[in-house]
Amino acid sequence: MTPVALSHRHVDALREFSNIGVGHAATALSQLIGKQVSMRVPKVNLTPFATVPEIVGGAELLVAGIHFRVMGNVTGDILIVFPEESARVLMELLLGKPVSPEEEWSETAASALTEIANILTSSYLNALGKLLGVTLIPSVPALAVDMAGAIIDAALIEQSRAGDLALLIETEFFETARAIRGHFFLLPDPASLRLIFDRIGASRR
Amino acid sequence: MNKIRVGIADLKIARAPAVLVSYGLGSCIGIALVDPYQKIGGLAHVMLPSVTAGSRGGDPLKFADSAVETIVTRMLEAGCARGALLAKMAGGADMFAIAESHQPAGTDPRSDARPRIGERNAHAVRAKLGEMGIPLVAEDVGGNHGRTVELVPATGDLVVRSVRKGCKIL
Repeated sequence: MTPVALSHRHVDALREFSNIGVGHAATALSQLIGKQVSMRVPKVNLTPFATVPEIVGGAELLVAGIHFRVMGNVTGDILIVFPEESARVLMELLLGKPVSPEEEWSETAASALTEIANILTSSYLNALGKLLGVTLIPSVPALAVDMAGAIIDAALIEQSRAGDLALLIETEFFETARAIRGHFFLLPDPASLRLIFDRIGASRR
Repeated sequence: MNKIRVGIADLKIARAPAVLVSYGLGSCIGIALVDPYQKIGGLAHVMLPSVTAGSRGGDPLKFADSAVETIVTRMLEAGCARGALLAKMAGGADMFAIAESHQPAGTDPRSDARPRIGERNAHAVRAKLGEMGIPLVAEDVGGNHGRTVELVPATGDLVVRSVRKGCKIL
């Protein structure tokens, strides 16, 4: 599938499809931290690469990003981005002790955050796999704490090979008191879109 | 000070006292060219090594090799002398390198999907500059950290900032 042209119908289908996946992921996170986690309606963006870092608050914002490649019949990238302060609050909840902002990320904190990302991604991919009738397997997660722009680069490589625009399905999620918030991105490889649309019936008409 | 922002797959040319800046480079590379006599600078932010490396083409500013050609053309149009041009670059990191090294060799599914794109980007810039006979006088590439670069045409400095590795001037 070359230069992605998406109809309203396609956009709606992708939004609904991601909504179900992120719904499962938010429930899993709520159970894990014992706090209500809400999410916004997913946004389907077909946008120049330069605008992607703006979605999370700018290319220089310090964030924790966890990246997965998605393998199986549908391939793509998943990127979960927490502003660094949100990631620290999340770690405090999980580890039961404060994490000071000056402190380098400890091995324990890094693996705890990676584990959360694993749980979010597995819940998301399980729900999507059921919906599409395919098996979707996440790669091992990779964590980096750095500038948002630098972290987003990695997730854009596949898409930059295929065209000049990034297709991303983005959902912002937050804990009710707003101390924790983050962004969940699915970047389907353009070659996988046809299968997605076929399976969810959006290719008809 | 007038700071001109250079986005992903973007290129800007400016004359002193303006400053060109590109934020948050990961595996991407900031390619800077200066004409120290005219005090004109050009900064590009590229994502991939070359059009031929498994890509479908598109915007030439996305690729290291075609972007180098484009900067040179645009700088000559702006009045630079070809023989005066000097190049510097920064970026080309492997952002998730640490997590990947935890995987036993040969079992990491990522190694096939992304064979060190940052390193290949840097290599492509060096090769193209060499081919065009433009000296690469300084570089800060590789590692696993993000970089913000600022090109100051007035001095020819390329200021590289990062979260944990501090600031250096090339």
